[in-house]
Amino acid sequence: MVESIVLSGVAVGCVYALIAITYNVMFSASRVFSFTAGTLGMLGGVLGSLFIARIGMPVAAGLVLALAGGAALGIVTEVVAVRPVLKSLDQHLYVLSTLALALMVQQFTAIEWSTEPQPFPRLLDIARGEFDQQFWLPMLACAIVIIGLELLYRHSLVGHAFLAIAEDNYAARALGLPERRLRMMSFALAGVIGALAGFAGGEMLLAFFANAPLLTFYGFVPVALGGMGNNRGAVVAGILLGLFQQAANFLVGGIFASVAVFTVFIIVLLARPEGLASAALRRHV
Amino acid sequence: MDTQATQSRPNCAHLLGSVNTFAALPFLVLMLVGVSFPLFGGGYWGVIATRACVYWVLVSGLNLVVGFAGQIAIGWVALLTLGAYTTSVLVAGNVVPALPPYLALATAAVVGAIFGLIVGLPALRLRTFYFAITTLGFATIVTQVALAWQSVTGGGVGVAGPVFPEPFSSQWGFYYFCFGLAAICTWMTANIAASRFGRALTAIRDAEVAAEACGISKPVLLGAVFLFSGAVAAVAGGLFAALQSYITPDAFTLDLSVLFFIAILIGGRSSIFGPLLGTILLTVLPEFAAPLVAWSTFLYAVLLLVIVLAIPGGIAAILDFKNRRPLESDRAIIPRPNLLERLFGAAPDAGALTLEQVALSFGGVRAIDGLDLEIRPGQVHGLIGPNGSGKTTTLNVISGYYAPQRGVVRLNGAEVPVLARHRRAPMRIARTFQTPRIVGSASVLQNVMIGGTIDGEGTFVESLLALPRHRRDEAMLRDSAMLALAVVGLERLALVRADRLQHSELRFTEIARALMLRPAFLLLDEPASGLSVDEITRLSELLLAISRSGTGVLLVEHHPDLIFDICHYVTVLNLGRTLAAGTPAEIRSHPEVINAYLGK
Amino acid sequence: MSAKLRAITRRQVLAGSAVSAAALASGFPAPVIANSDPIKIGYLPALTGPSSSTGVGINRGTELAVEEINAAGGVDGRKIELIVRDTQSDPTKAVNGAAELTRGQKVSVVFGPLNSGESLAVVPMLARTNTPQVHPCWVDSLTDPKKFPMCFRNAPTNQQIGGAANRYVMDVLKSKNVAVISDTTGYGTASVNAYVPMLKAAGADVVYQGNVDAANPDLKPELLRMRSAGAEAIMPWSVNAGFLSRIINTRGQMEWDVPIVGQTTLGSGQTQALLEKPEYWAKVYPNNFRSVCYAADGKLSDRTDAFLDRLKSAKIEMGDTLLWWIALGYDSPRMIAEAMKNVGTEPEQIVGFLNKLKEFPGVYGDISFTPERHDGYPDDEVVMVEANSLKNGAFKLAPGYGA
Repeated sequence: MVESIVLSGVAVGCVYALIAITYNVMFSASRVFSFTAGTLGMLGGVLGSLFIARIGMPVAAGLVLALAGGAALGIVTEVVAVRPVLKSLDQHLYVLSTLALALMVQQFTAIEWSTEPQPFPRLLDIARGEFDQQFWLPMLACAIVIIGLELLYRHSLVGHAFLAIAEDNYAARALGLPERRLRMMSFALAGVIGALAGFAGGEMLLAFFANAPLLTFYGFVPVALGGMGNNRGAVVAGILLGLFQQAANFLVGGIFASVAVFTVFIIVLLARPEGLASAALRRHV
Repeated sequence: MDTQATQSRPNCAHLLGSVNTFAALPFLVLMLVGVSFPLFGGGYWGVIATRACVYWVLVSGLNLVVGFAGQIAIGWVALLTLGAYTTSVLVAGNVVPALPPYLALATAAVVGAIFGLIVGLPALRLRTFYFAITTLGFATIVTQVALAWQSVTGGGVGVAGPVFPEPFSSQWGFYYFCFGLAAICTWMTANIAASRFGRALTAIRDAEVAAEACGISKPVLLGAVFLFSGAVAAVAGGLFAALQSYITPDAFTLDLSVLFFIAILIGGRSSIFGPLLGTILLTVLPEFAAPLVAWSTFLYAVLLLVIVLAIPGGIAAILDFKNRRPLESDRAIIPRPNLLERLFGAAPDAGALTLEQVALSFGGVRAIDGLDLEIRPGQVHGLIGPNGSGKTTTLNVISGYYAPQRGVVRLNGAEVPVLARHRRAPMRIARTFQTPRIVGSASVLQNVMIGGTIDGEGTFVESLLALPRHRRDEAMLRDSAMLALAVVGLERLALVRADRLQHSELRFTEIARALMLRPAFLLLDEPASGLSVDEITRLSELLLAISRSGTGVLLVEHHPDLIFDICHYVTVLNLGRTLAAGTPAEIRSHPEVINAYLGK
Repeated sequence: MSAKLRAITRRQVLAGSAVSAAALASGFPAPVIANSDPIKIGYLPALTGPSSSTGVGINRGTELAVEEINAAGGVDGRKIELIVRDTQSDPTKAVNGAAELTRGQKVSVVFGPLNSGESLAVVPMLARTNTPQVHPCWVDSLTDPKKFPMCFRNAPTNQQIGGAANRYVMDVLKSKNVAVISDTTGYGTASVNAYVPMLKAAGADVVYQGNVDAANPDLKPELLRMRSAGAEAIMPWSVNAGFLSRIINTRGQMEWDVPIVGQTTLGSGQTQALLEKPEYWAKVYPNNFRSVCYAADGKLSDRTDAFLDRLKSAKIEMGDTLLWWIALGYDSPRMIAEAMKNVGTEPEQIVGFLNKLKEFPGVYGDISFTPERHDGYPDDEVVMVEANSLKNGAFKLAPGYGA
């Protein structure tokens, strides 16, 4: 029982952490939280199942196409739902526009793909074991993304540019950085990460349109707990969340588990509204 | 001059009267359609119409939360679920002895009020997106609890909905019941919209900082709104259960929450009629074609996106004909300071406002470093200095936005509580802001009336029911606001939507709003910035007149002319410390001031 | 992970809109004398949604029967018009559909809903509108000659079904420790509530009892808990093929050798299609009905054989569903038509006829009603079968199965 809890807890925690990173990457580029993060995760699973199981493509091709789909949705999010409202004075319109876009994609998937969870193909042709691929694939994906982002931010020009935009928007623009293009690239990157989360987690979560609201919520919890924009905090919080949820599932069972997770999350948020990382003093007036 | 004033006032009163009846007309039309609906609508459309009424009962309350207060409460279906189950279970009598349906509905309202508060209160502590996510979480929790608590809710099996007694048990009887409740909710929320509470809600939404300065307490007001909205949503739940005649947990989907939420946004914020039309539209739309039913949530989302990107004001903005009329192009602001006496009444009676050795640092930067300041009533006290010298920070400390790390602020010798921003207004300390904080979607008059919010005596419930004290408050606030606008010279623009005004007019609007408090102390943060030379002259006359009425004015400014013309006393700051203090003449010739700031 | 955000409803396009378009035109009540007007029968299947396996299967038989009746001239020269409202597996939509059928379409009889969860809502509602109703739902409370005098059930009750299943588990498989699991629909919840006391009364030890969201992708926590509690048999009660397939798959992945005994859908072609490995289908014993199963000599009854031939010539697909569903769907309109042929379309007449119905010969079973008993299916026809013996929608009896 304990191994099952740990294995599935860490695995699903990695999926949540990846969605949290998706939120963070979008937030860094635009100071906006987008409701489409969970939808990207859902699409990774659905597109993977569509290309590999239903159409019959090889796994690698399916992966590439699923990630491309994620990038596409990321770019659409930026162009349609984020860019137009950043200019407006009403700062909260982005919540509504990204919500609308996320709902559109979810509903479309529900109607065109299926309203029931569909099987996700087995990606690697290895026999089932204790430490099965459905567990270590998300962990691997999470590690790759974290390392990749580190390399990107620390050692590449583009990465530095991303960091600059996140740190100080005005200064970056004053220095001549092409803010719009960089933001679009950031959102595309976020789309890829989100789709990867859904693809890697597909064997656990299946290809189900209702994964979108689920991942929207559970993927946000690590962001809230780890601090906005803080990827390391998100990963730790995500894994802890996964472990807590699976422990509740295995020991107590479904309904009480989700009620417990929601309640704990709300309590923590109320106690530390800035997250468990420290807050910064903002100039108010 | 006086005859001008008396001439313009009746005009405006007449205008206001006609605006009110014009505003009521669409509601009356809908009322007529609704009452006569059974005559031309068939049985099936009766069900749809009843459903629209039930949804509107919920949306009318949620409108105050989302449309007026600007809180993104997406998961409000939780309260519909709660109300539906509470009513049904109480009527079925499987937990407690069966209650009559009306009593069950009333009990559900109370339960809904409490939970409305619980679900809504995190809004006070969380950012927008976080709060939106928590409401989604609540919606899920309620559904899961309904599934799990089988002994009460029947779990997946569900419970039968309540059946209301004659004459409301037939289809049309029940329709009239729901229609009646919907009409009452429309009336009540329209009353709130036209009350100081409604205006205060929009102030919290669009100009929170200014709302606090006007004495509006966000927790108290939001609390009242969540209680009301929760109660009304629960009543809608009971009606929903009766309409469905049987409820299971999966009847309460996220789709419903989305429908409610989007109806308000399509309708437009700060509007009652807009969301009403929006609700009817979204309820009826899927019924026109079978395929639309499956795609309905998709359509709602598309509508939402279109509204957000193209018409953020929603249906209400489209129907806002009076704000399409062009404004005069060469408008001059001509204040009439002689009206101040009528506005203020007796001279405010206060001692001095003093800062003693106040110090405040932001991280490593010392914004204010041991500042002493004294503002006396009846005087204009100038506060000048280079950028970053701590002028605005000083103002913010006085008005309670920052807590000094050392030193105290005293009013009349008594220590002023730190960080109690909304308690400055009862102390008659008013202020304006560096960038005008105005509710763009409200009229100029409404913006100024916000300034007098704390002078209203009626409670939230009295406004809900349009009781006499509410009416008296409204008349009083309206009259005072018109007077204040006349004082600053903007009375001709009273009914214009504030976001159509020029920058300088917005500044004078802020001053009018501040005057509503009949302030003992008026703090002004760079009021002349962006004003033309003529306007600065008129501003000086106005400020002098205000100080002569007994108000102590603190003027933070960059324009040396304005300072030297009207100030009785000037303090010069540099790097958070007093560089020099004295009369304008002394300051003008002070060598250090000239070096640091004025130049030769 | 379990307990998903049961967020967005499962909706798909309404079926049968062509039929309803014509029906919508006739808003006025038909004059009693007009004898060439079609007879309207309201029909509430779940053709889409998580519990649509029943509706999809039954529908094939129903459409065939109505076609045949109309081709033979209808009832006294009047054709039968089936007015369909897809409930989408949603009780709320079922109620709305029933309201529209009775108030708007003014149907003579309602057939359906086909799932208990939806019927729990619709049966009391139809009783109030005095509409005769025939439904095949199993939950015990769905017939009550006193409360719902016009409601008839032409399928077994949960008592009959559960009795057969529980007897098989305890007497044949000799398992005393039982795990009972269902989904969170009305049918699933009511079934668990019915079967657990029955098991306990028979002397079993119910070591696990749970309602799980059918969309839950990971049932390992539940099965692990069952195993640690010492379950010797798993009894799932759900019509959701995905859910059932995940139970079977998880048992196989865990390599846990324990029999699965339960709902008939365990044996449907839909469930089979979702299995990870065909061998997982071993030791799965769903309930079914003797009339549509292979006897010990490997043969079907003559009536069923003839029915199968008719299905084949009408090119009706059987491999992805269950034969008894199609048979039930076929029998029901014929029974209703029989009533109308004899006594006309007035509600009281139809109810009077059904109250005296003796052994109406159906492919699925011989249906009999009395004024005191509106459960028409004979007791001894419920049997347990072996899932992986599926052929042409029919099964072999489960091993060790006497009578």
